Amino acid sequence: MRSILALLRATWISATSYRIATLLSVVSILASIVPVFFMAKAVEPIARASISLEGSDYFGFVVIGIAASYVLLSATGAIPSALSSNIGSGTFEALMVTRTPLPVVIIGLAAYPVMQSLINAAVVVMGAVVFGVRIDFLMLPAVVVIVLLLIAAHAAIGLIAAALVLVFRTSGPLITAVVAGSNLLGGVFYSTSAIPGWLQSLSVLIPLTYALRATRRLLLADASLADVSGDVAMLALLAVIGLAIGALAFGAAMRHARRAGTLTHL
Amino acid sequence: MVTVDGITKRFRRPRTWRESVRAPFAAPRVTAVDRVSFAVAEGEVFGLLGQNGAGKTTLFKMLTTLLHPDDGTATIAGHDVRDEGAAVRRLVAPVIANERSLYWRLSARENLRLFSSLQGLHGAAARTEEDRVLGVTGLTDSGAKMVRDYSTGMRQRLLIARALLARPRVLLLDEPTRSLDPISARDFRRFLRETIVEAEGCTVLLATHDADEVWDLCDRVGILERGRLLTVEATALLRHRSGGDRHRIWLRPDDVARVASTGLVLQPRGPSIEEGWATFECVIPGGATGAAAALTRIAAADVPVARFERAEPSLADLIERAVAATPQGDRDA
Repeated sequence: MRSILALLRATWISATSYRIATLLSVVSILASIVPVFFMAKAVEPIARASISLEGSDYFGFVVIGIAASYVLLSATGAIPSALSSNIGSGTFEALMVTRTPLPVVIIGLAAYPVMQSLINAAVVVMGAVVFGVRIDFLMLPAVVVIVLLLIAAHAAIGLIAAALVLVFRTSGPLITAVVAGSNLLGGVFYSTSAIPGWLQSLSVLIPLTYALRATRRLLLADASLADVSGDVAMLALLAVIGLAIGALAFGAAMRHARRAGTLTHL
Repeated sequence: MVTVDGITKRFRRPRTWRESVRAPFAAPRVTAVDRVSFAVAEGEVFGLLGQNGAGKTTLFKMLTTLLHPDDGTATIAGHDVRDEGAAVRRLVAPVIANERSLYWRLSARENLRLFSSLQGLHGAAARTEEDRVLGVTGLTDSGAKMVRDYSTGMRQRLLIARALLARPRVLLLDEPTRSLDPISARDFRRFLRETIVEAEGCTVLLATHDADEVWDLCDRVGILERGRLLTVEATALLRHRSGGDRHRIWLRPDDVARVASTGLVLQPRGPSIEEGWATFECVIPGGATGAAAALTRIAAADVPVARFERAEPSLADLIERAVAATPQGDRDA
């Protein structure tokens, strides 16, 4: 844990030393809520029926979708991106020869972008509260668990992408495809019940579907923990299966990289 | 301390599109390290001399567990680099000569804090160790400065400080003075000899293509060429054998004929720094006695000599001689 915190701290200090950029990113996230607010108010009369199980406020519905998509993007891309940039700079070689086990190094390298996305997500949701969205804050601990499961499920895909980076020097279109597919089928801007039947059958494989539905019902629709237990269980199952596959793929890629010499240069 | 026995590493050679189409299942390979064997004793400074692409860096990566050998074994204090990676990493620290591997927007102390944590050091023990390595590398006063504001030489020292954090028993240095100016390089060599080897008691493996580094630092040296270890010799012996008979002499150009009459065959080596003197090289057998006799003959011929010294062999000379001394069959095997 100390090693993860040390890596997180180092990356945090490096990233926030660009003060103007840090400030501008927070401001731009807050500013991005404004057009969403007006768009949501315009669309709300049409969308209200389809989102009724997940609250009646379409602006709140969309804001939670956007916040989740921030987390999803970083959870999927953080590991391959950190791996790629650290191999390129030579830092990965220095980290690999320390006494810290590799999985801890990987988590430590990915921790900052995920943490940053969580902060961005929190900023968006707090901005929405300022605009009048009613959120059940008592359910936040349960939502934290859901978010962690969402991160785990997508970190698994990140591990597979990182394995591709180690073997082929690029993860190709995997991350883009996963993020776009999740946004399309997971219900970021609309309820999954509103999409055609054959697409709905695909959405059952998307972790975001369960995470968003459970989060919205808890925060916006006064649902109880029992009401969302099915979604949370399914999300946990996808995370466990995904992490097992991801760990196997990454382990195999590491062994290949140690043989082929692709571990220390791209 | 370090034993390398028949270690070999081959890499897949990148192929052109045409080659891939003609033979889609072929997997041509290049041999980066070819059946290399040597042993390094505790506290020894062992040099690996070779041109770019000789296999020095690949060999180091295998010793640090970053690469797995295809054949052969290597052990550090009895621990196999392939099967006991964690144990090896507790003993070996490579000085990664890449400045970009530092966190440039962190101070030197913050960089060390990160790596001390990754090496399992925490709290007061970590602070003490950070202070120690900053002191050892002469960076105590600039520890709070951001790495981006460091000079290249300071970053080089910080890379070494980082490697020393875990008190390694074996330090691997890959061309450590590559980006240093001559004065910084000389200071660094002194620091390595006096502080790292004599005070810290590290065993050092030094990969270089700088002959000066070998003469100044190494107890023994191995010459690598195209992945093969051609020879391993004590540095003093290698120096004597490869450069012992060649001398440089600084004379007035008009005196060349008179020196030639003493039996010395002079070869011009370009103008001297000092005005009016020219530099020549000649072969004088017999070591110091032979050189003294030759100098006596020159003096007897009433020839003024500005300077006289034994010529140090260059890296190219050493490799050429090592290649020439290796039987053809051994080189091609």
